[in-house]
Amino acid sequence: MKHIALAAMLGLAAIAPVQAQTVVRHLHITSIPAEVELMNSIAADFMAQNPDIVVELPFLENEAFKAKLTTLLQSADAPDVFHTWGGGVFYEQAKAGFLRPIEDVLSDEAKEAVGSAGIAAYTAEDGHLYGVARDVAEVVLWYNKALFEQAGVDPASMETWEGFLAGVQTFKDAGITPIAIGAKDKWPAHFWWSKLVVRQAGMEGFQAAARGEGDGFAGEDFVKAGEYFLELAAMEPWQQGFLAAGYGDASGYFGDGKAAMHLMGDWDYGAMKDNSANKEGIPDDQLGILPFPTIEGGKGDPTDTLGGLGGIAFSKNASDAAVRWVEFFNNQENQAKYAKDAYYIPISKGAADVMTNPFKVQIARNIGNAHWHALFFDQALGPNVGGVVNDMSAELAGNSISAQEAAELIKEAVDDSL
Amino acid sequence: MSTVAAGATAGITTTARRRRYMDRKSLLPLLLFLPPSLILFTVFVVLPMVDAATFSFFDWNGYGPITDFVGFENYADVITHRNFGTAVRNSLIVVAVSLLVQLPLAMWCAIALAERSVNINILRTLFFLPFMLAEVAAGLIWKFVYDGNYGLLPAIGGAIGVEMPFVLGDKLWVIPAIMLVITWKYFGFHMMIFIAGLQSISSEVIEAARLDGVSKWQIVRHIKIPMIRSAIVISVFFAITGALQLFDLIIPLSNGGPSHSSHTIVTFLYQFGILRMKLGFGGAVSVLLFIACVIVALAYRRILFKVEQN
Repeated sequence: MKHIALAAMLGLAAIAPVQAQTVVRHLHITSIPAEVELMNSIAADFMAQNPDIVVELPFLENEAFKAKLTTLLQSADAPDVFHTWGGGVFYEQAKAGFLRPIEDVLSDEAKEAVGSAGIAAYTAEDGHLYGVARDVAEVVLWYNKALFEQAGVDPASMETWEGFLAGVQTFKDAGITPIAIGAKDKWPAHFWWSKLVVRQAGMEGFQAAARGEGDGFAGEDFVKAGEYFLELAAMEPWQQGFLAAGYGDASGYFGDGKAAMHLMGDWDYGAMKDNSANKEGIPDDQLGILPFPTIEGGKGDPTDTLGGLGGIAFSKNASDAAVRWVEFFNNQENQAKYAKDAYYIPISKGAADVMTNPFKVQIARNIGNAHWHALFFDQALGPNVGGVVNDMSAELAGNSISAQEAAELIKEAVDDSL
Repeated sequence: MSTVAAGATAGITTTARRRRYMDRKSLLPLLLFLPPSLILFTVFVVLPMVDAATFSFFDWNGYGPITDFVGFENYADVITHRNFGTAVRNSLIVVAVSLLVQLPLAMWCAIALAERSVNINILRTLFFLPFMLAEVAAGLIWKFVYDGNYGLLPAIGGAIGVEMPFVLGDKLWVIPAIMLVITWKYFGFHMMIFIAGLQSISSEVIEAARLDGVSKWQIVRHIKIPMIRSAIVISVFFAITGALQLFDLIIPLSNGGPSHSSHTIVTFLYQFGILRMKLGFGGAVSVLLFIACVIVALAYRRILFKVEQN
């Protein structure tokens, strides 16, 4: 009898902690070691305050993440919460019922913190809220001041497309690689096409084309955007071997001071350092941001920005504890830590106020003042159309397709998915 | 006549008796050993194949229920896809290089290295080493070798004063570059199969031929190669099916690029079916590939059968 009681007690003792602790698995794509460290420390703080919750932070590399997520969400290994760029893929996940609506669980405080733009971005077509906005990002034209000086190019002369092309030519003549690009990964090339489309077609034009109205992406403005891209590509402005270079290679190439410009998201500020040979990249006083050149007769608003509104989505098995964790992670105090170290620009109200990094401050202002903050096209248009946009952009960068054909193939993909 | 008939009847009865005997004796091991492999094969091979074939008739993005039946539209999309022809062509090039370069090279090495000695063992291990490397690791190693900025190849080129292209970013060079890696990676495997075959040839046969004054080449041509015929048959079969399924070397090397010029059928399937979330399209590619493999397997058996009869 005694033995049985003892066994029962031992059994209970073994089960008790398991029952009490809820595990929250947060799948992220952060690869910068110091940033991962920060995430771990926030999780440790949370677990200290909530002994009944265990936060796990599994990691997948960017490309692997995109490839694996579909299967992962439908498996027993599905994470509770995961990184998302919003847009087409997110809507598909919501539509298929793989996400948990959280509008009734999420605190009002957390809702207010992300603002109306944050709420709108993660509200699916069915009106439910499935995610929490975390950060805003903008694709900007980074430039290396030392190389501009060396070639004798005035940054101010590059504000128009003609001026920009003339500047590129000056770099070519000076034997300096004008632009770094990671065309193997394709999405870095699609930033060029996207920025030109934002300038040429503007918000109304893009949104109508995405809905398949009229000539869609085969319309005049999109062909023209492709022609501008080809005009640039024909000058061979990219580093040697750009078709074999991934994003990391191009980012390192720019960080090593070997190319004058790099059209990339604001995250490249940190990534460029991390990818450079000496891990220091371009010093702050030699780094600058150029406004993307304007196009004569373009329909876009000069304040339009292109970028992201990244967030954290809740999979359908997410527990209430998962919501508590994301609220904690995304609160002003914790997000201010990300802002302080300039990893990204947090959306959480007030968190970005502590930003001292001049580039991030400028980018935050750009987005705040934007008439239209266009979501990354390859995310906004969903995986299939987005994939074709990326393909065509890489082809255009390599000057191996006509603008007309590229435009028609994108339109075809849109028609296919409607 | 009657003796023949009697013989035949006797034959039937003995086989029948043997079969009955076999039945009783083999039933237990059959029941014990067949189910595990049968279940594994069914769950991991047959069912996914049936699934993929089903998907191929639907428009499905991988999320939610499969409802949108489209008939043969996916198949039409695959065949008219602007990159499908390139993928098929590349897969055929891999088959050709495997058969015409890799296997002869493996045979040559095998004949040179079939003897047993310490030095030869070291060489053999060296040649076999690439095969033991994981495909992805091998792909990454060669990606570094080929890297135009920091790689070994441009360093060698620089040393002899030749400017090397960025081979993996060049539509012209990417296929030869990949073929070199494939040959390097797999010839050791075929070499080992051939060596095993060569070592089973009785040394007396070779000795007798030598005494008759037969030249080395003639020994290879008329004794060694014919006597390891079955090893060659296996090797050719592995080479063809392996080439048709090539995937994990390509992904780290070129990821099918530049401009989708280095896709094989399977990386094409992965890129446009899985990553683009068009699983019906991917299913259609996989069914076409499966049919191609079955045709190859059947044709191969038939050809071998004919050769054997002759």
